[in-house]
Amino acid sequence: MRKRTLKRGLTGFWWFTLAFLYLPLAVVVLFSFNASNSAASFTGFSWRWYHQLMGNEQILSAFANSMVLAIVSSVIALGIGCLIGYGMYRHRHRKLGWLIVLIYLPIVLPDIVFGISEMAFFVQVHRLTGLFQPGLGTMIIAHVTFQIPFVALIVYSRFVGLDPTLFEAAKDLYATPAKRVIHFMLPTIKPALISAFFLSFTLSVDDFVISFFTAGPESATLPIYIWGAIKKGVSPEINAIATLMIGAVAIAAIISLMFSRRRQA
Amino acid sequence: MTDTLTLDSAEASRAADGATAEPAREASSIEMQGLHKRFGRDTVALAGVDLTIEAGEFFTLLGPSGCGKTTLLRILAGLEEADDGRLSIGGRDVTEVPPHKRSVNTVFQSYALFPHLSVRENLAFGLKMLGIAPREREARVARIAEFIQLGDLVDRRVDQLSGGQRQRIALARALVNEPDVLLLDEPLSALDAGLRSQLQVELLRVQKRLGMTFVFVTHDQDEAMVMSDRIAVLNGGVIQQVGPPREVYEHPANAFVARFMGHANLYPVSARDGDRLTTPLGVLSAEGAGQGELLLIRPETLDLLPGDQPGENRLPATVGERLYRGSHAEYRLEVGESTLQATVNNRGRRLPEVGDRVTVTVAPEDLVTLSE
Repeated sequence: MRKRTLKRGLTGFWWFTLAFLYLPLAVVVLFSFNASNSAASFTGFSWRWYHQLMGNEQILSAFANSMVLAIVSSVIALGIGCLIGYGMYRHRHRKLGWLIVLIYLPIVLPDIVFGISEMAFFVQVHRLTGLFQPGLGTMIIAHVTFQIPFVALIVYSRFVGLDPTLFEAAKDLYATPAKRVIHFMLPTIKPALISAFFLSFTLSVDDFVISFFTAGPESATLPIYIWGAIKKGVSPEINAIATLMIGAVAIAAIISLMFSRRRQA
Repeated sequence: MTDTLTLDSAEASRAADGATAEPAREASSIEMQGLHKRFGRDTVALAGVDLTIEAGEFFTLLGPSGCGKTTLLRILAGLEEADDGRLSIGGRDVTEVPPHKRSVNTVFQSYALFPHLSVRENLAFGLKMLGIAPREREARVARIAEFIQLGDLVDRRVDQLSGGQRQRIALARALVNEPDVLLLDEPLSALDAGLRSQLQVELLRVQKRLGMTFVFVTHDQDEAMVMSDRIAVLNGGVIQQVGPPREVYEHPANAFVARFMGHANLYPVSARDGDRLTTPLGVLSAEGAGQGELLLIRPETLDLLPGDQPGENRLPATVGERLYRGSHAEYRLEVGESTLQATVNNRGRRLPEVGDRVTVTVAPEDLVTLSE
């Protein structure tokens, strides 16, 4: 009897947690389809705000910036993180713990500290060399730095999960170092790479703080645009952007999760 | 690598579009000189190994874990580099040749099948890396699948295979490359006893038909004796004895080999008068036992007679312990202050019970001596 009560209580708690997590999102999604521009009452279903989005050039360019930033930074982070992940695996027996802490520090650092540091650094370098004009370029560099640890960790854990004799089997079966990479390592970690790419992608799309500090006048991303627009009040248009972002990030996260599942199989 | 596998079984010949069996390809010998290997500062894995393995031999490296047998195998594969010494395979010095350039393949203890590839792709991996054309690759994979009788296993995924099936795929994946030498690193140790003896027979069949040089690593002396043409017993990175199974078992070179082969009845010889040896058990006469200072009495050479029956090479004993094993019984006998182990076949006669007085007899020609 008591066991059943406990079970019911736990089930209830589960639904409460889900509601707590998703109700705010549901409100945004719902009001993005509101026929009137009231944020208080839902007067009817309409695509109006989505149509309006498509005509807003600022939004379209912010969307384009977000995509370019997310894709380019993810690709670069994938390349570098993959090498670091493999390096960590190869030298896992050596005492390199402190080095790994160095790589992970950016993850635990508050975004605002990280963002300000990046900004200060770029400003200094720009003053001295004329390079690193704030804009998409500096944003890509900043995003790559916080994406790398995630990629490295995913790749590393894939390698650690492998039977180490597979590397020897590839050598034993006449694979030259280059062929080992092409025919053994890359195909073996492919699910990890796909998972890491989509995780990096969502991290980049989600980021506001670091982007904000490293952006230039022309390189506002969607989160930066929303933040600017919201100062004039929450328009239903913002709800529509938010809904599209929720959809995009959810899809990327699901793909990432699917491939990280397969990696464990 | 241009020769083809000899498939001299009737069914394989028929499969190979009616062609008659081809002659065995030239097998390769292995020559090791003064191989040394150290890990870190303190761990000596190999302390000077000189060994010649004949072409076409089923050769076993036997020893306890940490004796250096796996290190030696890995040096043969090129996965480990010797600190010192030379290694040649088939007359060619390969001491510094990397593994992917050696015509040597390994069956790993963990099988090491690639999880991202199908069974068929696993089998073709080596050939693909060698740059063999797809058509020939397929033909050779089909031929080896027939030879190892893989049946429909080739169309499965690696994660659908049982341990025994993985083992056979790993064997086929190595053999399909037709290497000069096949290395096997405890390939049967992960399998249960029944499957194990079945695969032992299969491995032997494969080796005899191909006439290929096999180097087999195991810590199991029974397995070594069943499989091998010759055995090298290793301990502490040093070869203790090399010889055919019978020689190693019946005439161990030293106490370590004797104990490793399962012999416990070792007694110091305190005095010697011609063929009469004085030991803690009493005085025994031996014939051609050698000049060693330790007497070895193999348990299966002993006979038990009921009661006290004094005579030449007869020792009065009390049964201390009996393990009944059906086909035979193992005894621990007390002879004065010493203990003696005896294995007695169950021939339907009465087997002495614990506490019985018995007389142990041994033939002089069954006694051997060895050095510490």
